[in-house]
Amino acid sequence: MTARPILAVRNLRVVHRSVGFGPARVSVAVNGISFDIARGDTFALVGESGCGKTTTARAILRLIDASSGTIEYDGLDLRALRGEALRRQRKRMQIVFQDPFTSLNPRHTVGSIVGEGLIVHDLARGAEVAAKVARLLEEVGLSAADAVRYPAELSGGQRQRVAIARALAVDPEFLILDEAVSALDVTTQAQVLALIASLRDARVLTCLFIAHNLAVVQSVASTVAVMYQGRIVEQGPVTALFAASKHPYTRAMLDAVPVTDPRDRHARTPLAGDPGAGGGAEPGCAFYPRCPHPSKDAVCRAAVPPLRAPAGESAAGSAAGSAAGSAAGSSSGAEEAQGHGSAHLVACTKAVPPSL
Amino acid sequence: MTPLLSVENLTVTYARNDAERMAVDSISFAIEPGEIVALVGESGSGKTATGLAIMGILSANARVGPGSAIRFEGRDLLATPERELRDIRGRRISMVFQEPAAALNPVMCVGDQVAEVALVHGERDKRAARTKAIEMLGRVGLPDADERYRAYPHELSGGMRQRVMLAIALLLRPALVIADEPTSALDVTVQAQVLALLLDLQREAQTAVLLITHDLGVVAETCARALVMREGRIVESASVDDLFHAPAHEYTRELLAAMPRIVRPA
Ligand SMILES: Nc1ncnc2c1ncn2[C@@H]1O[C@H](COP(=O)(O)OP(=O)(O)OP(=O)(O)O)[C@@H](O)[C@H]1O
Ligand SMILES: Nc1ncnc2c1ncn2[C@@H]1O[C@H](COP(=O)(O)OP(=O)(O)O)[C@@H](O)[C@H]1O
Ligand code: SF4
Ligand SMILES: [Mg+2]
Ligand SMILES: [Mg+2]
Repeated sequence: MTARPILAVRNLRVVHRSVGFGPARVSVAVNGISFDIARGDTFALVGESGCGKTTTARAILRLIDASSGTIEYDGLDLRALRGEALRRQRKRMQIVFQDPFTSLNPRHTVGSIVGEGLIVHDLARGAEVAAKVARLLEEVGLSAADAVRYPAELSGGQRQRVAIARALAVDPEFLILDEAVSALDVTTQAQVLALIASLRDARVLTCLFIAHNLAVVQSVASTVAVMYQGRIVEQGPVTALFAASKHPYTRAMLDAVPVTDPRDRHARTPLAGDPGAGGGAEPGCAFYPRCPHPSKDAVCRAAVPPLRAPAGESAAGSAAGSAAGSAAGSSSGAEEAQGHGSAHLVACTKAVPPSL
Repeated sequence: MTPLLSVENLTVTYARNDAERMAVDSISFAIEPGEIVALVGESGSGKTATGLAIMGILSANARVGPGSAIRFEGRDLLATPERELRDIRGRRISMVFQEPAAALNPVMCVGDQVAEVALVHGERDKRAARTKAIEMLGRVGLPDADERYRAYPHELSGGMRQRVMLAIALLLRPALVIADEPTSALDVTVQAQVLALLLDLQREAQTAVLLITHDLGVVAETCARALVMREGRIVESASVDDLFHAPAHEYTRELLAAMPRIVRPA
């Protein structure tokens, strides 16, 4: 059993409504997910583009409203925070977005972007601000002289580092990195990841790490949750899960990882098909149309497979296994099992065949 | 065979107040028709600036140095009038940008942005342009392409926006695609699909690709040759096999050493 988690997400559901001409379209971006992150831990979310990772991050930070579910941070009900309490909470939690171009104000210099949080939260004054900014820029591999430049004058990777420096400036306890290192070259990436690891050790930084490079995920996170169409389909300790993944989607994902040596190139069949429009209008397992499992059948389509311990692994199996169906909003036994950060859980009705 | 593209002695500087910053420092390389060449290197080393210079779309504070030449399909692009360049861009050379959110028009639905490429380059029938756009959006793996045609960029996830960019770049089967980190915003399954698609089109239409990436796995998986840039210069140019097995430059060795790899328990 792990210590009380710093972040506990239960049955989180987020619906996007696009307004425009004609009837509003509704899509369920996050469809009842639950997970825990222990203090000081790094938890990774992976999955296909559009599966709801960024939406999950935005909901946690209250940048978007959840439709239902609970998000508890250090005993606080985040969905209920208002006004001053919300502002104070925002300093504790920072995010670095996927796309630094749209998240950096083009009219501000690098120095004022990184220094803003220091001033707003009264963490430094006068000359102290510039000195802190200079140190932060150097920490992320930029130079103090870059403070006078504007975002448009920077390369993609340099902008990404500015966004990371800005997030670190306010000394957050909880950091969300949404594809934040994806645009960095491997040497800078290694440097930034080492920086984050050292901060994590030096001052107990908890991270939600969203990335698609599975090797990077393995090097920084202890636990990983694999999302597919708004739901978590597999979750567990990273190294063990990558070595023995149980869900056909996780398998397909691991199989798609590029080789690390050109001599190892081999023909492979990339996972066919589209993730679909999201929202899971069809009953049952959302992966069904694309699932290569040889024995997928009507059972898969009867109901959404609940997250439970994989067949043959008994841990938490009985408790979670009895709670069939994981409809959003229901508070079932599965919730307990899902919330458990470190157990290996999988949402598939079939046992995994040895080679898929 | 004459190369499709040959870059000779290219220098790009960016001006700022009175200082000049050298982004690309007299680099030369060539690309054959249908070839896939990787351009890898440190962040800020001048990869994007090289791509923008070839496209002729560097920002106003940038200058291409005297003595630089960029030859493409028999003409010197640096000496080609803007009017002709506009016809070449999108039809013969296209670029997939590193930041799709910045490259897409936020107030135009994505399908029309794809169809527009056909309309700008001579297609008169709007319905035909639309059909072409939907077909291409489907090929790059945008789910429900005919329905998502009407979506605005902010309604799509980052990866979906990147696929829209690919559709725009590939629509007219250009001879050269400069793909700037085309898959760094994509998850591995979509990345594999997109790379497979790039390879298909490359075979089908003899499209050459200059693939700017920092992901050495992508290089190992798809490219025949690679150029390694550092501080504005090309420090190594080698076959991909040599790059991985007999790297000549110290910096290339550093890159390989920093490459993240999945570790499996023994
Ligand atoms: N519009 C601009 N004005 C001034 N300087 C610029 C501009 N664009 C780029 N630079 C600078 O030129 C150099 C090369 O930038 P470039 O965008 O080509 O890098 P890159 O190799 O593509 O890096 P990354 O991998 O981070 O995208 C960098 O030092 C960058 O800061
Ligand atoms: N602002 C929005 N309006 C409407 N739909 C959105 C919006 N943002 C995201 N979506 C949709 O929600 C789903 C999940 O998106 P997102 O969380 O960005 O995915 P990921 O980060 O995993 O790639 C996708 O289907 C996407 O198109
Ligand atoms: S439940 Fe059935 S369709 Fe879904 S992943 Fe498992 S085998 Fe495939
Ligand atoms: Mg995202
Ligand atoms: Mg770049």
